[in-house]
Amino acid sequence: MKRMICITINGKKYELAVAPNRTLADFLREELLLTGTKKGCDMGECGTCTVIMNGRAVNSCLVLAVQAAGKEITTVEGLETEDGLHPLQEKFIENGAIQCGFCTSGMLLSAKTLLDRNPHPTEKEIRTAISGNLCRCTGYQKIVESIKDVNEGR
Amino acid sequence: MPLPEFEFHEPATVDEACRMIGELGEKTKILAGGTDLLVNMKKKLLAPEHLVSLDRIQSLAQLDSSNGSLRIGPCVKAAEMAESDVVISDFPALQEGASKLGSPLIRNLATVGGNLVTARPAADFPPSLIAYGATLVLKSNHGERTVPLTEFIQAPGETVLSPDEMLKAIVLEKPSPLSGSAYIKLGVREALEISLLNVAALLTLDESGGTITAARVVMGSVAPTPLLSPSAEKVLLGETPSDVLFLDAGEAAASDSRPIDDFRASAEYKRAMVRELTRRALTLAFDRIQTQ
Repeated sequence: MKRMICITINGKKYELAVAPNRTLADFLREELLLTGTKKGCDMGECGTCTVIMNGRAVNSCLVLAVQAAGKEITTVEGLETEDGLHPLQEKFIENGAIQCGFCTSGMLLSAKTLLDRNPHPTEKEIRTAISGNLCRCTGYQKIVESIKDVNEGR
Repeated sequence: MPLPEFEFHEPATVDEACRMIGELGEKTKILAGGTDLLVNMKKKLLAPEHLVSLDRIQSLAQLDSSNGSLRIGPCVKAAEMAESDVVISDFPALQEGASKLGSPLIRNLATVGGNLVTARPAADFPPSLIAYGATLVLKSNHGERTVPLTEFIQAPGETVLSPDEMLKAIVLEKPSPLSGSAYIKLGVREALEISLLNVAALLTLDESGGTITAARVVMGSVAPTPLLSPSAEKVLLGETPSDVLFLDAGEAAASDSRPIDDFRASAEYKRAMVRELTRRALTLAFDRIQTQ
């Protein structure tokens, strides 16, 4: 039986009925059509479905939508503001840190939670922060450099 | 992969949760972090009719170090353990286990309690918790009981929890002042890794700082359950810390280990690594006493 949930996504409040066996990843993609959140392994291993839930980056394929009730979710669609793209997005574009783009949403969100908590991370801290996000194209170097560039305000 | 259908329950208190799992019967699973349970449900290895979520029970998500011991709510996340000041200062081996589990994304979901109840031989929390002498408080409708962690895990995936019982708290005594501890995980990569094997060590010295008065070496992934090494303890007790002693303790721990050949590594390799990791963990634990 569906349940009513209240959930804040990218600053906007939603009140919706959802089936208990719906994961947050499927809920975002299929019911809210926020397809910036990707689905890769669906088992918590690849990180493409990363969203920020109450300030922490999580695999949305391992959270039930009903568990996210009352919480604040940020997806990649929530990074852009009136002022334009998020600095991380700008640096990813500048540095060519995107190839196929499938990991990008997750990378950006993991990086954002790192910089929110620790504005000046070391390279090791950057690499640890994105260690749950797999990329099969870039070899990570340009992603790490982009996060570093934001940190250094370049 | 779609999840099978189930009824979802969200009790607000521990008593309500106990009543629910008592009434709903055997086809009920408790949902904590979900990083294991939901994966197994997607793989169709489990199809519970009822999920009882502990998300809304605040008392289960708290760390309390107010009276000399550390009381860990089973729903405390691995990330919260890794970041906790009291865990970092008093239980460094636990901090190391917490920060090596899964990935940052998994650590923001996975709970300490879930890591114990799933009872996997390679799990990151049991070795250090056993080294610190953890006891678990189990609760059902019929009352509470306390069980040492060494007796809680019975076999891979099996614990002493009865179907109507839940884990309510994990309790650790703060180690004596001249104590040091460490946890080392060996894997083939740095993240999203299941331990090839892991070792936690705890050393306590007497007041002069010269003699070992308490020692524990606990190994993971070298037996069906995490293993406390009695032989290593025997080698260490009453002795003066030295490189040679730690090497001997490593030999002793290796002799207690019961690894098997599997796709991760040969038994021979794992035994050799128990020896080396034990030596390193003890050395690190001793260094930590000296830099206190």
